[in-house]
Amino acid sequence: MSALLEVRDLVKRFPVKRGLFFERTVDWVEAVAGVSFDIGAGETLGLVGESGSGKSTTGFCVLQLMRPTSGSVRFEGRELTELSGEELRRVRRNAQIVFQDPYSSLDPRMTVGNIVAEPLVVHSVGTRRDRRTRVRELLDVVGFDPTYVNRYPHEFSGGQRQRIGIARALALSPRLIICDEPVSALDVSIQAQIINLLKDLQAEFGLAYLFIAHDLAVVRSVSDRIAVMHRGRIVETGPAKDVYEHPKDEYTKALLASVPVPDPARMQERKADRRKLQGAVAM
Amino acid sequence: MSEPLLEVRDLRTHFFTREGVVRAVDGVSLSVDRGRTLGLVGESGCGKSVTALSILGLIPKPPARIVGGEVLFRGRDLTTLSERELEDVRGKQIAMVFQDPMTSLNPTLTIETQLVETIRRHTDASRREASRRAVELLDEVGIPKPEARLGDYPHRLSGGMRQRVMIAIALSCEPDLLIADEPTTALDVTVQAQVLDLLDRLRREHDMAMIVITHDMGVIAEVADEVAVMYAGQIVEQASAAALFARPEHPYTEALLGALPQLEDHASRVGRLTAIPGRPPSLVEPPAGCRFAARCPYAGEPDGCAEHPPELRELRRGHFVRSEHPASERARPREGVSA
Amino acid sequence: MSSTPQEHGVGLAPLRQRKERRYPTPPDGVQTDAGAPIRASSLWRDAWYRYVRNRAAVIAGVAFLLLLAYCLIWPLVSPYDPYAVDFSQASESPSLAHPFGTDQFGRDLFTRTALGGRVSIGIGFAATFVILSIGVTYGAIAGFLGGFVDNGLMRVLDALYGLPYLPFAIIVLAIFGGGNFWTMVVALSIASWFTTARIVRGQVITLKENDYVRAAHAVGARWPRVLLRHLLPNTLGVLVIAVFLELPGVILGEAFLSFIGLGISPPDASWGSMAQDGYRAYRTAPHIIIVPSIAIAYLILCANFIADGLRDALDPRTRET
Repeated sequence: MSALLEVRDLVKRFPVKRGLFFERTVDWVEAVAGVSFDIGAGETLGLVGESGSGKSTTGFCVLQLMRPTSGSVRFEGRELTELSGEELRRVRRNAQIVFQDPYSSLDPRMTVGNIVAEPLVVHSVGTRRDRRTRVRELLDVVGFDPTYVNRYPHEFSGGQRQRIGIARALALSPRLIICDEPVSALDVSIQAQIINLLKDLQAEFGLAYLFIAHDLAVVRSVSDRIAVMHRGRIVETGPAKDVYEHPKDEYTKALLASVPVPDPARMQERKADRRKLQGAVAM
Repeated sequence: MSEPLLEVRDLRTHFFTREGVVRAVDGVSLSVDRGRTLGLVGESGCGKSVTALSILGLIPKPPARIVGGEVLFRGRDLTTLSERELEDVRGKQIAMVFQDPMTSLNPTLTIETQLVETIRRHTDASRREASRRAVELLDEVGIPKPEARLGDYPHRLSGGMRQRVMIAIALSCEPDLLIADEPTTALDVTVQAQVLDLLDRLRREHDMAMIVITHDMGVIAEVADEVAVMYAGQIVEQASAAALFARPEHPYTEALLGALPQLEDHASRVGRLTAIPGRPPSLVEPPAGCRFAARCPYAGEPDGCAEHPPELRELRRGHFVRSEHPASERARPREGVSA
Repeated sequence: MSSTPQEHGVGLAPLRQRKERRYPTPPDGVQTDAGAPIRASSLWRDAWYRYVRNRAAVIAGVAFLLLLAYCLIWPLVSPYDPYAVDFSQASESPSLAHPFGTDQFGRDLFTRTALGGRVSIGIGFAATFVILSIGVTYGAIAGFLGGFVDNGLMRVLDALYGLPYLPFAIIVLAIFGGGNFWTMVVALSIASWFTTARIVRGQVITLKENDYVRAAHAVGARWPRVLLRHLLPNTLGVLVIAVFLELPGVILGEAFLSFIGLGISPPDASWGSMAQDGYRAYRTAPHIIIVPSIAIAYLILCANFIADGLRDALDPRTRET
């Protein structure tokens, strides 16, 4: 049986433009340089990497929010890179995304209710009354008080806004949700709430996640399998336990050793480990 | 016992805004000894940055004002100094490193200019001497080929490099105290480790005192000797780093540590994180009693901690807590909060 | 929650309700994280507060409204007929009976100025509206589509930029004959929309980078919806400012064209044509030209201060935390 999502040799290049009168393309930047992975139904693949590793771009390319330069993305058996227009829109219902920045991911001129209802409106699902009910259910499920449907996003805190974004992603009952750094912009205690929420939702609705983040500890708490990205390539994948405890790639080892852990006793040992790996990481 | 280099006593900084008086820092006391690092940790809005800025008088004077307390640096109360006198202290005796090196470095000036400018402001070095010192500094902070870098503009350097330049500028006049406000938050984790190592090494080599402000408990564990935990404008727990992590006392500290996903935890995939319900209180109308009471699993009527604000008291040698229910005083174990 | 991909009909399967409350029950009187808004105020109210703090902008706003009221209401209640010629009262200096004096034909200037104001301001707003319509459409298409189309449209715009609008206005009036409200509007707007187009394009490009635009695509919105529902409403602030920035230019343009005789022609009044009337009598009865000139300056000053105030008030940089 094939996996829910199969990505093969995904490449995304961005043109570097120059020119006075008409911009010409003089060079290419390869943000994603051949990435392959699978995600099965109901499981979480954690995609980790530092800034510039291409992980967010990978996420956007999977959903065809950016068109990949080459490569294949098979979702539920269908090749997404070949779809466009109405067919792509239909498939979009089953794969959604939660963005990193709670401040720019919600249209400031729309009410909370309209934001969450938009997926339903766009796909003409249900009557207006059905949609209203559905929006209230969704908000309740993500822990957002439904009585505030008519307020505007700027009235709420970062954590509350992320909940709105998650409700929007759930509206069409997708099977896959791409979480692009969903908690990076939040305080620690709120992070914990949202991480718990995402795990609960996964258990309840059988969601699969592509969880993109740079915080290794956060990723470990939600992922079944890990893929480590560095400069556009995946340098290591495997079950979370294996990657975290017995990393094989030098970069992965350096990455893991660099994370500060809140345990002064362990810190000394980790600093020693780090010094041994000095060469693997550029400044 | 020698005098602490910096001693802050009951500092209060309030912001006078249209919506009311925001009591951003409301009675903070801390001290730093020569050669030691104090970590000031808390979530956003707790007042840690404002505390640092208040020490140096860098708060925006129209809405904000230090309304009480003292900041004793080598015996002098900085809050009583004029702007001119403070300018002499800044850079020379107390230096500060900020979070985002892109906005704290002037993008239109070369590295050399910015370094030389600072050096010549506080010493009477000639341009040539200042330039030479600049190269020494860049080398010290670990920038390869420093002579070549002098002519660069900030945007040519990576984030990690820029932060190193900031540190070089901060060190240029041999300050006694270095305040680093979220110095590594904007950096990748591998670069972060290097910068923290650098700060620690420099601190030891120059016998500086350091205050590191961050929200990241991991960073605290890496560099801090003593830790002060801030919440809603006050310090709620203060102890040595080892003691704080081994035996946290304040319910907030416990919850904060419990909310952290652990890198080395085998079971983190299936466990739940401790989520603290609710939100920090408004600083315009802070609650009358303990500011954490509303979210605290141990607050209860009979104790009245919701009515009477607890004082910061010394629970053990060097371990201070602002709570009626520190961990070691709880009669019976209560269930932690899982939301 | 499994449904086959195609099966999302009207009857959405209800989400399973959890038994316990989702958000933790707080002790009394405390905001839960998932609870009440932290700031109950609207974007417009915040903007209003900021605007009101700018004294010059407030005064200008009031002055502008007074001017509008004067132009609209006074001609309805004035005892004087603005067209009646009465040489016995010609060229009288301002007095109690005639606060602005009379012109060479004995017509009350206070009334004619109000009437002229209707025309001048009317043309001003109408032309500004046309400028915005063309500019917004052009800029939005260029900004939204980007790439090749944007490149082409902008190069064309660059070429057009060099054209001075006055000769164009004159040509239009020469072809279609001046003196008509609508030909004036066309003449004034035909070569004045370039800056607006550029501003709108810039705004749209900036807004396109926002995640909520990506989110709209992700949920399946088609591009008309993204443009009309997400991008344009968020350019509203910039547009409002653009209105008050274009207005002075257009007013002056109309005044100038009427002054040189190409615009509104007598006996209809516009401030420009009134200035033309008064030009010849400058030595003997200067008030005839001074009055409309001051009226024009007054309006332009108001528009500029209002635009300033609006720009500060609607500055998206001032973000709530």
